[in-house]
Order: sequence, then C-alpha cells, then structure tokens
Amino acid sequence: MTTTTIMLSLPDRRRMVGVAVPFIAVAGSLAIGLLLVAASGKSVPEAIEAFLDGAFGTAYAIGASINRAVALALVGLGFILAFRANLTNVGGEGQIAVGGIVATAIGLWTPISDLPLGLAVVLPLLGGTLAGALWGGIAGVMKVRFGTNEVISTLLLGFIALLLVYWCVQSTTLLRQPQTSSATLPESLPIADAVKLPGLTGSPESPLHIGLVICLLLAGVTAVVLQRSTFGLRLRAIGLNELAARRAGMPGGILLVVALALAGAFGGLAGAIMLQGEQYYLKAGFSSGYGFDGLVVGLLSRGSTVGVLAGALFFGFLRSGGISMEIMAGVPAALTLVIQGLIVIAVAGSVILVERLERGGR
Amino acid sequence: MEETLAIFIASTLRLGMPLMLAASGELVSERAGVLNLSLEGMMLTAAFFGALGSWATGNPYLGVGCAVLASLCVAAVQAWLSVDLRANQLVVGIGFNILALGATTLLYRVIFGGLSREEIPGLPKLAVDGLSNLPFAGTAFFQQSVIVYFGLALMVLIWVILNHTSFGLAVRAVGDEPLSADKAGIPVARTRRLAVLVAGAMAGLAGAFISIADIHTFTENMTNGAGYLALAAVIFGGWNIGRTIAACLLFGAATALQFQLPAMGIVVPTAFLLMLPYLLALLAVAGVVGRLEPPTALTLPFRRGK
Repeated sequence: MTTTTIMLSLPDRRRMVGVAVPFIAVAGSLAIGLLLVAASGKSVPEAIEAFLDGAFGTAYAIGASINRAVALALVGLGFILAFRANLTNVGGEGQIAVGGIVATAIGLWTPISDLPLGLAVVLPLLGGTLAGALWGGIAGVMKVRFGTNEVISTLLLGFIALLLVYWCVQSTTLLRQPQTSSATLPESLPIADAVKLPGLTGSPESPLHIGLVICLLLAGVTAVVLQRSTFGLRLRAIGLNELAARRAGMPGGILLVVALALAGAFGGLAGAIMLQGEQYYLKAGFSSGYGFDGLVVGLLSRGSTVGVLAGALFFGFLRSGGISMEIMAGVPAALTLVIQGLIVIAVAGSVILVERLERGGR
Repeated sequence: MEETLAIFIASTLRLGMPLMLAASGELVSERAGVLNLSLEGMMLTAAFFGALGSWATGNPYLGVGCAVLASLCVAAVQAWLSVDLRANQLVVGIGFNILALGATTLLYRVIFGGLSREEIPGLPKLAVDGLSNLPFAGTAFFQQSVIVYFGLALMVLIWVILNHTSFGLAVRAVGDEPLSADKAGIPVARTRRLAVLVAGAMAGLAGAFISIADIHTFTENMTNGAGYLALAAVIFGGWNIGRTIAACLLFGAATALQFQLPAMGIVVPTAFLLMLPYLLALLAVAGVVGRLEPPTALTLPFRRGK
C-alpha cells in the first residue's frame, strides 16, 4: 500500500476515480481532436482561436452557448433521475421533439398571447413538459406491463417522435405555414413575441433567456430529491434490486413509470425551451442531436447534478466553438462529433477499470 | 398496372436489401447475447470506406472489400468493449454512432472537399441471361446488382449455420444460457466475439450496397437510420431469421410505397409510411403480435464465476 491510499479514506478515493475518468476521457479526446485538425492540414492555432472566439468571444457567443447548455442539462438531469432507478432513457431526442411540437401547437393554435401574468410563456412550457412526460411514460408502462426493455422502446419512440415533427411541418392542416407558393418551406409559422422566453440580461446583444433560471432551479430540486427524499431513496432501492424493493413494500411498477415519465418531462421541457427561447418555429430535425448529447452529459456525470451542469456547459461551449471553427477556420464541425463519440466510448469502456480501482484492488 | 407492380417489387427488394444484410448479421450477434446499437455506425463507416476504396482503386469490388474491412474494424472494437471489458453495449453503440457520423463527415470533407457528389465506380447490375427479359419477373427480380444475389446466398448460409451447425448451437447457447454453455465447455467470449464480427461483416456489405451498388456516391449521413431500422426488424422478426427478413421486406415496401403511391394518385402522408416500421417494431416489443422471446442474456456481459 502506498501512502496515498492510507491517507485517503475509501469514499475520497472513490470520488477521485469517478471524477478523474471523465476528465481523462475529455482531455484525451480533445487532444485527438487537435491532432485531427493538424492532420487535415489546417492551422491548429487558428482553429483554437476560432473555437474560443465562437464559444467565449462575444456576449452573444456566451449567451448562445449557455442556452445550448440549458437544453443539454435538462435532458441530462432527466437521464440521471431515471438512471437512479437503473433505467436508461435513450429517448431524449424524441422527448425534445414532442415537447417542441406541443409548445408550437399551443403557441400557434390557441389565443394565449393575450393572457396576463406571463401565462403566454408558461402554458406552452407546461404543455411541452407534459408531452415529454407522456412520451417517457409510455416507455415506463410498456416496461411494467409487457417487460419491454426501455432502451428499445425509448429509442423507437424517439424515431416516431422525429417523424411526427416531420409530419407536422409537412401538413398544412397540422402546423405547416400556409402554402402561398411552391417555395413555401415546410416549417411552422413563428410563434408570437408574447410566447417567446424573456431575455435574462435585458441587453439585445445577449440571447441568454430565463431558461437558465428554470434549469438551475430544477437542478437544485433534482439534487435534493435524489439525495434527501424518500422518493430518491426508493428510486435507488428499485434500481439496485427491484425484487427486494418490491418485497419491502415499494410500489415498484409505479416508481418505474414515474421515473421514465420524469425523464421524459425534462426532455419535453428542454424541447419547449429550445423552441420558445431560440428557434421560434418548428422545422424537421428541430431537436438536432440535443437528446443524444444530453444523454452523454447525463452519463458522464455519473449521477451527480453538479456533474450534469458542468458537462452541459462543456458540451454547450463545444458545440458553439465547433460551429465557429467550421465558419472561420474551415475545420468541419463534425470534429466535435468525433470528440463526443470518443468520450462516450472511453467512459463506457472504462467502467470495469473504475469499479476495480474503487474496490481498491489492483 | 403490372409494370407498376413489377417496379414496386424491384424497389422493395432494393430498399429492403441493406436492411436484410445488416439485420441477418445482427441476428447472429443478438442470438449470442450482444446487441450492436452501433449497426448504424458500422453501415455508415462501410458506406464511406466502400465509396473511398472504389473511387481510389477504380474497382468497385475492391471497394466492397474496403467497406467490409472498415466495418469489421468497428465491430472488433465493439466486441472487445462489450465482451472483454463488459461495457454497457447500448452506450458503446451510441458512442460509435456519434463517432462514425463525425468521422465520416470529417473525412469526406477533407478528402472529397466541400460537398462534391462525384460519382464513384459502382457495381454493375447483373442481368441474368434469359431471366432479366421475362415479362414480369424480369423487372421485378432479375435486374439487381451482384451484391443482391450474393447477399441472398449469405442469408441462406446464415440460416443453415444458425440452425444446423454446432457453431450455431454454440451461438444460441451463449446467448440464452451463458453459464451452462461455459460449464459445457463452450468458449463464451470467443463465440460472442465471432458473432459480433459476423454482424460487422454483414453491416459492411449493407453499407457497401448503399454507397457502391445503389447510390454510386457517398453523402453525409447517407445511411440515415437504416441501421436502426435493421435493429427494429430483428425485434419485429422475433429473433428468427425468416421473420426478420420478412420484416425487412415489409419495411422496404413501406419505404417504396412513398414513391409508388403518389404515382398511383393515392395520398398517404410520407411521414406515416416512414414511421410505420418503427410503429410496427414498437407494437412488436409490446407483445401485440404475439409473445416475443429475446435471447435471455441479450446485452448481459458474461463473467465466469458470477
């Protein structure tokens, strides 16, 4: 035994390994990313400069990156809630999509823009959240009633939701804008100003919106629920040993459905926030990979709320920087996908190693 | 009318082909207990390296070789991670799909530059003498590229291997009862690794079919979810090869209908036809079309003594 192992108590060591692995994976993947930039014959300093400029360079860049992080963090929070019950929600993408559809529908079909007290903003957000909860809940019910693996069902539901968006923006009876000419794009009309999320800074230069406040509040609630509530404890119990938890009198089925519905609700809210805060109209492919990125964020956090926020910020800035790198330095933004993929594979592959280190074995 | 039907059958076969190739390989892997969510990534990687190989060598057959080799590389890493490192197969699969999308897009931009759609040397259509001129069946069945006939032969081979050889028995044993299989002296890890490689090789052919035989070029994200459709077909087919291939043909037909129906003056939302395969698969996993029995140890890593 080395001195460090004696000095550090076991929980400390555990935490260190748990934090170190994502950091090593991220650093290694970023290094490979830079090597790829160099290998493709582009200037590395130029690429880094373009990246930093796009991520942190202006108030606009920072605001846009944080807005991206908000959507990712919400999906990630939902992921760790369900994951506490040992449920893997792969359907974030679809939950964002249904959230966006319902928020758009409420914004465009109902006369809510005249409502007082900010209801014009809140009702579509709630609608999107409920839609996501329903979408996640379906997977929960299928799991409990038919024993369907939630990974398969949430994935399939995800594709169905993406095609629902496509359907909605293709059909004028649904959400497509009135077709005045053959050049009318398959998109919805933009939502009214009253439905858009209010800005946070008051300055027109920053797109930062109140989604950040909602996200931070929910992160706090999630942390408390997971760590200090009976519900959180029950989720963990059912995740560790479903049979034992049921024997102990816990309503296993209901817990599983609620866990997946909650995960879906977070995804649906993320979709509504993306629509009301940034995009303002519905179009095919509107969820643009945020669901899968959010899953990655949840996975890297290893169940910690702070980890989700940190990961979401990282990926939010990574996305913004990647886009700027493509525009300014000619390095394809697909590079950020390579980095993300490598991180996921490295973290998933090192699980056994981490477990071995945590147990203190060699 | 007869001509329309013949064209419909031909395009069903063409659109169902990559699904059939990928799904029949994935079936072997899933029967052994390993689920490759990375099927989509393997196909996309294969489509890219197939196109690249065919373009660089000018020989489409070498292109197919490159495609299969590239896909096998992905499968080998997937096998190492899911069998030896006992990583979460689903998470690894998602990682590979993100990586494959990023890497192929990046390489495509760097090598081919911008958004060129340069045509690559494609596989010839094999017009079987005497058969391709038959009035109905000629158009429907006998004007396909070589890979189609080769692929169909491989599917028969997979059926034979899975159901009538000792290796097939070993595959099913390690997927259903890894513990007993291990006790009976069947090498669980090796059998599983091999099964994943089978999935990789077939996904490689599927990717090659899309870029080299069908479209004759590479475009970004050109598989566009075909790998997920193949996974859905395995589920809808209840882990049985005949039913899986039937499911692929059904999904192919649903895709073909979106081009055929408007021509016949029937209006069905395209989105609904595209959604149909996923809806059917969802109903299938919910047990609506009869009780499905996935391999007992599907996605569960095996470790001796546990």
